[in-house]
Amino acid sequence: MREFIDGNEAVVLGALDAGCDFFAGYPITPASSILVGMLRELPLRRGVAVQAEDEIASIGMCIGAAMTGRKAMTATSGPGISLYSENIGLALMGETPLVIVNVQRQGPATGSATKGADGDIQFMRWVTSGGLPMIVLSPENAAECYTLTIRAFNLAERFRIPVFLASQKEVGLTRELVDLDVVRRSAPAVVPRTVAPVDCVYEPHACALLEEVGPMSPIGGPHLVRYTTSTHDQRAYLAKDPVLIEEMLDHYRRKITDHLEEISHLDVDEQEGADTVIITYGVTARAARDAVASQRAAGRKVSLVVLKTLFPVPEAELAAVLARHERVVVAEMNLGQYVQELRRLTEESKIVSVAKMNTELISPTEILVRGGLS
Amino acid sequence: MSYINEELLPFGFCPGCGHIKIAGYIDEALTRLELPPEKVVVVTDIGCIGIIDKYYKTNAFHGLHGRVLTYASGIKLADPELTVIAVMGDGGAGIGGAHLLSAARRNIGVTLIVANNFNYGMTGGQHSCTTPFDAVTATTPLGNLEAPLDLLGTLLPSKPAFLARTTVFSEDATDLLTEALTAPGFALVDIWDICVAYFAGRNPLTRNTVDEWMERMDMHPGVLCRGSRPEFSRALRDLHEPLCLAKEAAEGDGGGAREASEATSESATPPGDRVALEQVATSSLSARTSVLIAGSAGQKIRSVATLLGAGAIMSGLAATQKDDYPITVRTGHSQSEVILSPDRIHYTGIETPDVVLLLSDDGLAQVAKAAYSWSPGTRVYADEALAERLDTGARVVALPLEETAKKVGRLSLGAVGLGVLLAAESLFPAEAFEAAARLLQKDKVAEINIAGLRAGMELIPAQGDPRT
Repeated sequence: MREFIDGNEAVVLGALDAGCDFFAGYPITPASSILVGMLRELPLRRGVAVQAEDEIASIGMCIGAAMTGRKAMTATSGPGISLYSENIGLALMGETPLVIVNVQRQGPATGSATKGADGDIQFMRWVTSGGLPMIVLSPENAAECYTLTIRAFNLAERFRIPVFLASQKEVGLTRELVDLDVVRRSAPAVVPRTVAPVDCVYEPHACALLEEVGPMSPIGGPHLVRYTTSTHDQRAYLAKDPVLIEEMLDHYRRKITDHLEEISHLDVDEQEGADTVIITYGVTARAARDAVASQRAAGRKVSLVVLKTLFPVPEAELAAVLARHERVVVAEMNLGQYVQELRRLTEESKIVSVAKMNTELISPTEILVRGGLS
Repeated sequence: MSYINEELLPFGFCPGCGHIKIAGYIDEALTRLELPPEKVVVVTDIGCIGIIDKYYKTNAFHGLHGRVLTYASGIKLADPELTVIAVMGDGGAGIGGAHLLSAARRNIGVTLIVANNFNYGMTGGQHSCTTPFDAVTATTPLGNLEAPLDLLGTLLPSKPAFLARTTVFSEDATDLLTEALTAPGFALVDIWDICVAYFAGRNPLTRNTVDEWMERMDMHPGVLCRGSRPEFSRALRDLHEPLCLAKEAAEGDGGGAREASEATSESATPPGDRVALEQVATSSLSARTSVLIAGSAGQKIRSVATLLGAGAIMSGLAATQKDDYPITVRTGHSQSEVILSPDRIHYTGIETPDVVLLLSDDGLAQVAKAAYSWSPGTRVYADEALAERLDTGARVVALPLEETAKKVGRLSLGAVGLGVLLAAESLFPAEAFEAAARLLQKDKVAEINIAGLRAGMELIPAQGDPRT
């Protein structure tokens, strides 16, 4: 079915198809249409959607609902992420599956409410205290808003963690041709929640190995469930023993870092003999695709990497590509945030940062000129 | 049976702390009601009282400071069958004030118990939102200048299901908690309590004087409100039930509720206003063409831009649309950027537009700066009055757009302009635009737009492509 829809509408469709059945949000440009869409669609499917009194309540309601067995989502923009911050820590601590859509706008603070940017990339990575790993996915178009929303739900369930969809105004509110029948063929299958068997002695954070993820049991279900914001043992009782605390934090860290291959998702279009690779993500990838096409049409070789998983950084895949190129052009709509990750993986002298955050898209020409390609 | 987990006793409160009594009253109320433990959840947040969830053989949720009502509301909304008990201190009530007001306004079925001891015990006895006037705390050493919050009085105008106040020394505490737990909606029991660690040492509040304090502060014990508004989590479902049934009947699945969690990509139902844009015509457009429509809010710029994009799609093209407008409606500028292309569109920016449709003074002001640098490769279509005032290197085609639109009818200017574009730029056949209008718009609006389009097309002579 060919449609003319924007990224935010595609997020709603993706969430519905992923089985999302709880949404709480607070109005904010440019994310409001997700709130309105979910309020319209979820109740018809016997799901629950509410507008909360603020962003703190939005995510708080989602966390409570998720622990009763719901697949929950919330959506906001940068100012709202600031208010989500502490509760994202709670969701990490309580191992709560949750999808958080951040339709980024130019910041800081109120910034330019109706203009796009990718200025929250590192903010999403380090959004809360404690420094635990986060998963951040970045769609470049409306079709990917659909598929990556499903993927975000899947990763949230698989790893019992809040997952960010890092959209932005230029993706969320840009209408384009989407054929969902075609897009669905490439969409991941929905991963259901792993639920503890009825006749077990349920421990909310039990796992056989530290890198594994234990099953959930819904509040109101067959087991008594405990949940806590405090450092705790596997039964979710307060823990003070440093050995135990370290073990739990190792679990939270390793359930992500030991599964990078499962989480990493990037589009590598490497051209043999190319000495330059353009690395980018989100809406800027679209300009990069045109830039690469024009170079190749002119007979010049160039490689392209479009990241769909921003965090955890797909280090192995990136390092391999970086090693095969002399120059690395990193294009992004911020002051140079993701380029910091690449500086860890290769020599500084190879890197050219094409960063811009003035509310305008980075154009194909700008990538080529500032990237030293033409 | 008791709901207290004896293995974890004694309670981790200071000797003499009233929280121990509150823990007992909650247990007594649960015992009287014989609620199944797996259908009860005790939700707490940060503060001394926040540790009590672990002493109950029920579900337990211990969250962030002041946010207990957000989790409790999420749990209740998700599963209205549960008995949700939220417990917080006066500190939490203060920092979570917005949630307190909202829970009462919604009348959501959560029982909130505030262990109100007038200061922050966990952090050393600082003043809270309920600290009485003149009271001495760690942060009001010379006496508190802030008026104490009357929790009940503040929520009373919302008429929630139950509002009551008591003290830890009062014999009615269990009765009030029992009634609160069965109240059909939001219930608050404000239990005045004595912090033996900090507040009692600095202020003459004792078991014997607490009644005098209540009298002096004009906050009296007893039940202040028994409201009868519908409970929110069920009301929300009841509100949507007719729509659910209608949808299910329309889908012919026998009225059985299809669990959203069972939805698969194949069986998913499209949201209500989705429209399939099947191809009805073929465009001869051979290259990516960018169109800038610049006008005023209230001129339906965005909706005609969507028709332009949808018509292009129905002619086999790809299309993108971006809008720019102020947060107000019907004042200021409104501008849409539409890209049409026979190929997939990646970059959605327009550095120099190929085609500009200029529809108002606001639009002129928006494009004026950029227009200086446009070359004749850019074609600007504008009303005669606007064209005169545009300083540009672009090729300008002045047409009687306003006059034509006046003849067609109200709000037809955008469609008249699009008619000009379709005819002059050979973007795609008019039938695709007309089909898009009929699919996406209400009949009356579609007819005006179609009439506008036709009138606009007539402004361009048959061989009048300005590029030739």
